[in-house]
Amino acid sequence: MRIDELKSGMILSADLKTRDGRMLLPGGLELDDRHIRMLARAGIEEVDVAPPLMELDAEMVRAVEGYVRDFYLYVNPDYAPMLELFRISLDRTAMAVASGWKLPSPETRRAQTVEHLDDLFLKDMGGPEDIVKHETDLASFPDMYFRIREVLDSPNVSADRLAKVVSTDVGLSAKLLKLVNSPFYGFTSSIDSISRAVALVGGQELSSLALGVSTISYFKDIPHELVSMEQFWRHSISCGIFARLLAEQQSGLQAERLFVAGLLHDVGRLIMFKKIPYASREAMLFARENSIPLNEAELEVIGFSHTDVSRYLLESWKFPQGLSSIINHHHDPMTFPDPLGPAIINVADNMANAVGISEGGMYVMPGIAEQAWETLGLDVNFIRDAVTAHDEQIDQIQRAFF
Amino acid sequence: MSLFSSSISLRKGISITDEEFVQLRDFIYEKSGIFVDQKRKYLFESRFRKRLQELGLNSFGDYHKFLKFDSSRKEEMIRLFEMITTNETSFYRDTKQLEAFTDKVLSPLVADIRKQGKKDLNIWSAGCSSGEEPYTLAILLFELLGMDAARWNIRINANDISMAMINKAREGVYNDYAMKTTPEAIKKKYFINEAGGLRIKPEVAKLVDFRLMNLNDPLALKRIPRSHIVFCRNVIIYFDEDMKKRVINAFYDNLMPGGYLLLGHSESLHKITKAFKPEFHPGTIAYKKE
Ligand SMILES: C[S@@+](CC[C@H](N)C(=O)[O-])C[C@H]1O[C@@H](n2cnc3c(N)ncnc32)[C@H](O)[C@@H]1O
Repeated sequence: MRIDELKSGMILSADLKTRDGRMLLPGGLELDDRHIRMLARAGIEEVDVAPPLMELDAEMVRAVEGYVRDFYLYVNPDYAPMLELFRISLDRTAMAVASGWKLPSPETRRAQTVEHLDDLFLKDMGGPEDIVKHETDLASFPDMYFRIREVLDSPNVSADRLAKVVSTDVGLSAKLLKLVNSPFYGFTSSIDSISRAVALVGGQELSSLALGVSTISYFKDIPHELVSMEQFWRHSISCGIFARLLAEQQSGLQAERLFVAGLLHDVGRLIMFKKIPYASREAMLFARENSIPLNEAELEVIGFSHTDVSRYLLESWKFPQGLSSIINHHHDPMTFPDPLGPAIINVADNMANAVGISEGGMYVMPGIAEQAWETLGLDVNFIRDAVTAHDEQIDQIQRAFF
Repeated sequence: MSLFSSSISLRKGISITDEEFVQLRDFIYEKSGIFVDQKRKYLFESRFRKRLQELGLNSFGDYHKFLKFDSSRKEEMIRLFEMITTNETSFYRDTKQLEAFTDKVLSPLVADIRKQGKKDLNIWSAGCSSGEEPYTLAILLFELLGMDAARWNIRINANDISMAMINKAREGVYNDYAMKTTPEAIKKKYFINEAGGLRIKPEVAKLVDFRLMNLNDPLALKRIPRSHIVFCRNVIIYFDEDMKKRVINAFYDNLMPGGYLLLGHSESLHKITKAFKPEFHPGTIAYKKE
């Protein structure tokens, strides 16, 4: 909100800092006239304020609880990390409702009809490889990423050469700059050129990000009846942020790679929406009416899941093996010989689902693979901190991409 | 700050032990052919929680005993079947399939029957839920036969394991959700606007005979009159391989030579049987009994 629109009594939704990181006012503070004058003097132009809250009566609180519970019917109710996510979902949903969000009715939570859309093949007449072949025969993956890889793999790689290659793609450069300037990276001064970004973030990391950005821009023409692209990518970005936060707790992981794995963990699903829209919608209906995760519904209704599709897709796009494996194994992390990466996405996906409930998420919690959580060696309290950190970043990162 | 108690828990009722789960799961399978995977253990807990409370039972083991031995076990089975089935359906569900069915299966079949100088047609809608599917079939027939329909002897046998669904089907009143893919002209022609929704017209309803029936009951299956066409959509997806085979074989036995079986969009006879001859049409496979 612009500073001249502020009124006393409004609540700051996040910590307010100056450009150089000095704290001005803490998030949660109720603003009075004195604060507003102070902000004007400090040259602040815009601040984030929370919308006015409605009081929730007992009946409304019960409705929120019932609504959120539905998303947790499939998972182990005695499992501490799940319980923590449940409590977080409750608080956020109550908050959303108090801010004017209406709990969606069962009807609106069903996917729209897609009677006019045809599938590439009927049940049992084709598999994930056919879907991917059909897709890759029609369109090729943006080759910018491979040009970046070439530079990185050449013996005398210089930041300048890398920057030159990236800069030939104006859209990509702009997005990368927005990303590295987001609070995610915590650089105190702003980065205004790709060569600075390479120097500060690192070549490998920037190339991971470039891969993520290129992939996202690849996907167009996804039937809107099945999914709102905005919601799809918001969930994906959430997952990426959580993956990065979880990765930072481990040693020897490239956090950027986990961010990108989170960002792209569901891309197989987009190809399914495109090639077998009717079957995909049947799977969505089946998931909802049986209160099971979409992944399981895909297996029952379609016979294969989005990770079966991503396996072929990422292979044909020649994605780095390490990254592909993390994406392909996020629903069965412990079956992969090096489970840490997939385990992170498995947990991050659940966290993203938990925060997505109050934003109109449709599907029940997929469930944390218990060994995956153990592999991470984290305390349950970490979850709430991660959610707070996530909330500080999500909007800006989303804006960087779109 | 939270509006919820800091000790709020996810668990709302008693838990089911692995042993009890297997017991109840096997019982359900034995009675209905519906197979529930171990992964859905927690769903079981929440689905039966209310019922256990109502009955004042303290464990899932007790519920299993109740189902087996209590004097009211017959009535309880009816409830059990309602609790374990999901009944998603709508009029004109899978329009592409229905178009192919009308053009490529129903029209030729009707022509064939006429050629034999007959006017009899039997259809079986197995797992009909709240009636949208068999009523849709009746409407398709009216549309195809036109004025002649009144002179035909058409019988659509529709059945389901859920008493609640059969009652709803007999009632024949539907909301917007049930109609979401129904053409406007069809709504006008075959439904009556009422306060509670749209009611199917009596002349359409007359063609359909709704009965409570369990596809897991071999004797009941044999009592269904021989059919020209069997619709069993989005039902066998809930069964295991063995039950799928039994049910499909029963359909085969029930069909007259030259008759057809139609399945749901996400089902096929692949891996189940080679007895039928698949006919491939855009939008569906029609399985023919030769
Ligand atoms: C998802 S609905 C499908 C309704 C309709 N055929 C359609 O495709 O829209 C599945 C129905 O199968 C019924 N069903 C499940 N097991 C059954 C059994 N053993 N015998 C009869 N009906 C059964 C359920 O009660 C439910 O109404």
